[in-house]
Amino acid sequence: MKMLKHLFGKRDKELDIMQEEAIQSPFRTVVRNFVSNKLSMGGLVIFLIIFLIVLIGPIFNPIDLSEQEETQINVGPGLKMLDVPDELAGNVKEISTGSTFSVGLDNDGNVYVWGYTKVSNRIDVADDMPSKDELGKVVSVSAGFDHVMALNEDGEIITWGSDRMGQCQLPMEVKHEKIKQIAAGYQISYALSESGEIFCWGNENLNDVRLTRRNGNSNIAKISVANTTLMALTEDGEVRHMGSQSSDISKVPEDLGTVKDIATTADACVALLEDGSLRIWGKANKSEREIPEMDGEIVSMFGGRYHITVLTDQGTVYSWGSNAKHQTDVPKSAQNVVAIYGGTYQNYAVTESGEIVTWGLKGYLLGSDELGRDVFTRILNGGRMTMTIGAISVIISTIIGIIIGGISGFFGGWVDIVLQRLTEIVSSLPFLPMAMILTSIIGNSMSENARIALIMVILGVLSWPSLARLVRAQVLAEREQEFVTAANAMGVKKGAIVFRHIIPNVISVIIVSATLDFAYCMLTESTLSFLGFGVKLPRPTWGNMLNGCVSSVVIQNYWWRWVFPAIMLSICVICINMIGDGLRDAIDPKSNER
Amino acid sequence: MLKYVGKRLIYMVGVFFVVSIILFILFNNVPGDRALNQVQNLRGKVSDETFQLRYQEARDKLGLDDPIPVRYVKWMGNLLRGDFGYSSFYKKDVIDVLGTPLLNTIQINIMATIIALAITIPLGIHCAVKKFSKFDNAIQVLTIVGYSMPQYIIALVFIFIFAVKLGWFPISGMNTPNFQGTGLAFVLDRIHYLALPVIVMTVASLGSMTRYVRAAMIDALRMDYIRTARAKGLREKVVIYSHAWRNALLPVITLIISWFMSIFMGSIVIEQIFQINGIGKMYYVGLMNQDYDVALAVNMLYCVITLISNLITDLSYGIVDPRVRINK
Repeated sequence: MKMLKHLFGKRDKELDIMQEEAIQSPFRTVVRNFVSNKLSMGGLVIFLIIFLIVLIGPIFNPIDLSEQEETQINVGPGLKMLDVPDELAGNVKEISTGSTFSVGLDNDGNVYVWGYTKVSNRIDVADDMPSKDELGKVVSVSAGFDHVMALNEDGEIITWGSDRMGQCQLPMEVKHEKIKQIAAGYQISYALSESGEIFCWGNENLNDVRLTRRNGNSNIAKISVANTTLMALTEDGEVRHMGSQSSDISKVPEDLGTVKDIATTADACVALLEDGSLRIWGKANKSEREIPEMDGEIVSMFGGRYHITVLTDQGTVYSWGSNAKHQTDVPKSAQNVVAIYGGTYQNYAVTESGEIVTWGLKGYLLGSDELGRDVFTRILNGGRMTMTIGAISVIISTIIGIIIGGISGFFGGWVDIVLQRLTEIVSSLPFLPMAMILTSIIGNSMSENARIALIMVILGVLSWPSLARLVRAQVLAEREQEFVTAANAMGVKKGAIVFRHIIPNVISVIIVSATLDFAYCMLTESTLSFLGFGVKLPRPTWGNMLNGCVSSVVIQNYWWRWVFPAIMLSICVICINMIGDGLRDAIDPKSNER
Repeated sequence: MLKYVGKRLIYMVGVFFVVSIILFILFNNVPGDRALNQVQNLRGKVSDETFQLRYQEARDKLGLDDPIPVRYVKWMGNLLRGDFGYSSFYKKDVIDVLGTPLLNTIQINIMATIIALAITIPLGIHCAVKKFSKFDNAIQVLTIVGYSMPQYIIALVFIFIFAVKLGWFPISGMNTPNFQGTGLAFVLDRIHYLALPVIVMTVASLGSMTRYVRAAMIDALRMDYIRTARAKGLREKVVIYSHAWRNALLPVITLIISWFMSIFMGSIVIEQIFQINGIGKMYYVGLMNQDYDVALAVNMLYCVITLISNLITDLSYGIVDPRVRINK
């Protein structure tokens, strides 16, 4: 500490300009040389920016390691999920939200699609939308996981988007029915006829639906689509689960009484009871049960994936449930609301003046990955992990290198011979294979945090020999200097001479070496993680984010998953290397001539 | 010189044994019972007593009940006789498993080395001669970028450009699946498949190689004999290629040797990405599937490679600079 203060601390005595020009400490010369090197300064600035971003970023973007979201898989970069078209303002009839896109309908029967509309490699629900002539005057729309349904005034149902599971194959019997409600789900389409019967088509293996009369498929007033099943409300105010499998959501409470309205989140159902109160059942463990105090009667409600939004007759909107994607942050401007729409992670509120207020998930700045996790958040958190591991390994290796190099160089004799052989043995251990074997053998039975510590130690313990050699050579040279003789004559202890008199004189070489080692350790860590021997998923690092990206599909179609981490890692290492090079040139201007 | 070589050889053998002891102890502390793994498939098929008997036989055969030093001596003896153990993943002797991959890796490495040298030597010389020119500065920045990018990122970028976008090369593998051709057709097909990994390996090594060649050449150009040669009125070409380059060549050769050895380790990543049946892939698969005999054998091979490359480097330094010999 004292050494650092001595080196970098402010001098007590202020010098005027003339004196400073005349006498300049070597350290200042180094700083001046370094600052005048544009390339290295640029590198330093960029590196510091990245460093601060990954240091501070995770505080605002904490990572949820268990996060998995099937509706948000491989979403491209962009923040347009809430970009309601201007034509819709003041003229909204209905808005329905699918997985990553929303469909809007205006009072003239025009349909608009916005958001991330590329639902698969080939299908884009915005491009595939039928022309106005084909659609006719639409009266209702519904967006599903990867397809859209529209109902026009002739009673015709039109679907587009993905048809992989037959969700766009309208059955004949539906064509003759008069339809009052349509609902698109996870690869499945539902239609409710005026006579109160539900029809469905699409992926009936994934979705738990049984539409038989015996199962209560009659007299239905409203349907609401949960993640992979269907809830229905009868004309008599009874809630029915339209599936055959027993699950949390299928256990409809028996004491509900007459239900006025229902809404569903992914795995839970909300019922609005006769007395104006709400009841929730199902799998609701993301604080969906924490119903806020509300003034006024509830007039309308819908469920997102893990949140619920309601509108009261006072024109006030309440959202509660999971706020991981800011879907319950109702903005102040949502006053005097007349209608609310939404789903998944998006909310749209139409105010009296016709303005559309939006809140919820805007999109993913750098896209999302194969489990629907935000790449940006993972880059921030992964960067912190990569840099921490790199920094701590360098500190370990530098400390070992200084101690061994210092002792070996100063004392000489048999100590030197033994330490030299030790250095030789460690440096003849093949680095990458050795690190792989150590993490896989020792680290197998460890907890993830212990593994990370182990990786730091392994990298540190394997990478010190080059620095030790360097320090030894420097100490050998410094040992013969007069100040060492003086210290010796004054009776300073040997250890103190090495570490307090000699090492501060060779600190510049050590700093350069540590800087370049930092880059090397980061690279090794990321290579290890890339191969699956370093930090394991789901904990991100810049290396293991690229782990699942070596396939032509990902490389081509989901480029954001590998391009962004790769760019960050490369820029970071390039900058560190530039800083190291610049420092070396600044300390030893002669080396610049090389 | 002979004494120096002898001394280095003794050191090398000593280090080899120390490293082998470290590795052996490491691999023997692996959790899991290898004898049980060998007889696992008998469980349920034979009576419990026979199973116990077989299990004990396997333990005896593997020598699991011996103390560690005895086991080490046994293992070392086998190793020196060319018996590397038994691969539990491939159900074959390790020596049979590793033959072809070793050849493949050497093939790729030699190709990558030749191409890299063909590019870096002229480039390095040119940069040294035209030092601090715009071209040189640009190359200097590019080389920093080159050696800062990890191999796998270069691989991803090249796969994206040359395999996915342009479609010139296949993405991974060593041959077209079910390829029937023989002779020239087979070789061409193989080259087509290996071109991209070789290019990636070459590009990944360009940065540091160019810098090294340039530095060596600048050192050589600064010598007095260059001034003399120029003063004699020799043509610049003769000065550079005959006088300077020959002297810069010696440090470069040292580098080439150690670099050639080091890309054996680097090829773990490349072989894994491109699914090449090489020694690095074997190592990866061995570690991933707890096939520790294979992993241990490959790791020992890596150690030997490192030691030999250190030895050759030291010796070539000795040849280049006689002072090294005297000092030691």
